[in-house]
Amino acid sequence: MEPVKDQSVGSHLAAAETTTATPAVPAPSPGVQPERRRAPRTWETPPAPVPPPHLDDYQSIVGAADIDELRFLARELKGKTVKMVNSTAVGGGVAEMLNRLVPLMNELEVTTHWDVITGGNDFFEVTKAFHNALHGSDYEPTRHAEEIFLMYNEQNRQRMQFTEDMVVIHDPQPAALIRARQETAARWVWRCHIDLSNPHPEVWGFLRPFIEQYDAAIFSSQSFARQLPIPQYLFYPCIDPLSEKNKELDESFVQKVCEEFGIDRARPIVTQVSRFDRLKDPLGVVQAFKLARRYVDCQLVLAGGGASDDPEGATVLKEVKDAAGDDPDVIILDLPPWCALEINALQRASTLIIQKSIKEGFGLTVTEALWKGKPTIAGAVGGIPNQIIHKLTGMLVHSVEGCAYQIRYLLTHPEFAAQLGRNGREHVKENFLMTTNVRRWLLLLRVLLHIGTA
Amino acid sequence: MTSLTPALQRTPAKPFYFNTSAHLLRITRYKANTLAELRDALRECPEDSIFQHSFRTLQEHHFIREGFSNDFAHWALSACNEPSLAERLASVDVREFTSVAELRERFIQIVEEYLEQKPAAGPRRADDTFYFCASDIVVMPTSFVAHALHEFVEGLRRVSVHSIHHHFIEARLRLKLMSNDFSQWLHEDVGLTETARALNRVDIYTATLEGVRTQMVRILERALL
Repeated sequence: MEPVKDQSVGSHLAAAETTTATPAVPAPSPGVQPERRRAPRTWETPPAPVPPPHLDDYQSIVGAADIDELRFLARELKGKTVKMVNSTAVGGGVAEMLNRLVPLMNELEVTTHWDVITGGNDFFEVTKAFHNALHGSDYEPTRHAEEIFLMYNEQNRQRMQFTEDMVVIHDPQPAALIRARQETAARWVWRCHIDLSNPHPEVWGFLRPFIEQYDAAIFSSQSFARQLPIPQYLFYPCIDPLSEKNKELDESFVQKVCEEFGIDRARPIVTQVSRFDRLKDPLGVVQAFKLARRYVDCQLVLAGGGASDDPEGATVLKEVKDAAGDDPDVIILDLPPWCALEINALQRASTLIIQKSIKEGFGLTVTEALWKGKPTIAGAVGGIPNQIIHKLTGMLVHSVEGCAYQIRYLLTHPEFAAQLGRNGREHVKENFLMTTNVRRWLLLLRVLLHIGTA
Repeated sequence: MTSLTPALQRTPAKPFYFNTSAHLLRITRYKANTLAELRDALRECPEDSIFQHSFRTLQEHHFIREGFSNDFAHWALSACNEPSLAERLASVDVREFTSVAELRERFIQIVEEYLEQKPAAGPRRADDTFYFCASDIVVMPTSFVAHALHEFVEGLRRVSVHSIHHHFIEARLRLKLMSNDFSQWLHEDVGLTETARALNRVDIYTATLEGVRTQMVRILERALL
């Protein structure tokens, strides 16, 4: 039986009528060859959220000594309070991180509140434009846009109270809340999650006077920081080892997912997990795979999303399918965003993981791969070199040819690949886990409040 | 206490309190895009930065057994493609220094000598920028205290690698001695001078910090026999 060349879950789900948590079974598209694989099964609706883990749940992962250190760090902060403010309660990496961080801080008796700013569509249109401009996109700033930004910040300032010892404002949207500073005794921190290395000068010029009023700023990479008259700290983004996307899985589940996606575990599996976005270079990955496969047997899995809600994503997905052609060893999976368990299983089943980005923020998919002990090949862009130390925790590449060579090399040198995987996992354990993130927040609070610092 | 008393029966003059340190990374205003800029920034950056990129980076990368010594060496190789300079920088053993000022001078000397021999390398642009960082440090206790040698071994087995780094590597800057907290205690308070020396000889550049811990425990177990 011949295989189909891709398994586009998103489109199947869109066509399904049922709204219960029933596995969706796609109908074969006209013209495709008969299926070798069974249909992929993913839940049509997001699963119910699981309760956040407790500190002790991390002990088996990072060790009792590391958890003890968090308790010692927090001991002298008992009774201190923190407020986190961002622009969304659900969706996006910041909300995901706060959902885990806030309960852990509270468990350590550092009372942490989380407030979300409100605003109309006009506000979020302006902040979206600011966001893109701060990433370097073209933008025509207007006085009107600035007024909308300031008006909603002022509304939120009047609505909120800032009675805590430390107030943390996440990203540019609520940055002007700093105007409440005079009314408070708090230390104010601006946590910037975005790449400010090449900001639109006028947008940054508008925001900068607000940022300079904070006590400190936090960036996700050294290269994202700006020259500012306030202390700037480096907080790497982190993953939660107990989340659906990263927790340990039963081997039987991994096997089941592979069977359902038609992946042959008897042969090497090379995987890239990312949105169908040109900046992730999925076409380059297909080219690298085809070059490498002249020398080594392997399958390519491209698993991502974004094609159903993003017109450009759909275009990129089509280009990737065209590039894959009829190759039965290229398995393209357009997954809905709640398929974290399936993504986890795919990563765990993989022999190698690729993240051949052309531009990247931090690259949390790299962190996820390293955490699973997978030898990883990634583009040397954005925050990736913070995670992949070339030849020690993974392999950095700059071209399709370089990527192809590293696929060949790692598939034919499994001991070296395994050592990269072991180092990569330790690197994440030391620097990019949720527990490290908690440690950094506790440290910052102690530093800003001058409690027990050297 | 005499050296003839079996190690296990000795009562230390003072208990050993296992502490640990936590570090918060700060981004400074110093950066380098060329080796000449690296040399200049090495001269001007705060001592905290020299500490961060030499002593501290060993802790951040404690799981790597070989090929990683300090951030300057790594950058000279990966971003500047200058393996000869990288080797010289990598040969700097932080444990030979009891002050960050001396360590800074050594790094500057190596880069200066290299640029005198190879002046064309000075202004050549690196693939990536070197950002000088620094750390704010918080020292804190752990739950481990050793009133006897067997408790010391147990503590050594169970404390975090951050604590090992704090006592074994960072300690010399505090002590201003070519030694470490563990060896000092074994020598001064337990009278196990040879064991103290053996501990101090454990090579931190050819083992992970877990490997260093294992070697130290082995040395102590031999002393307890």
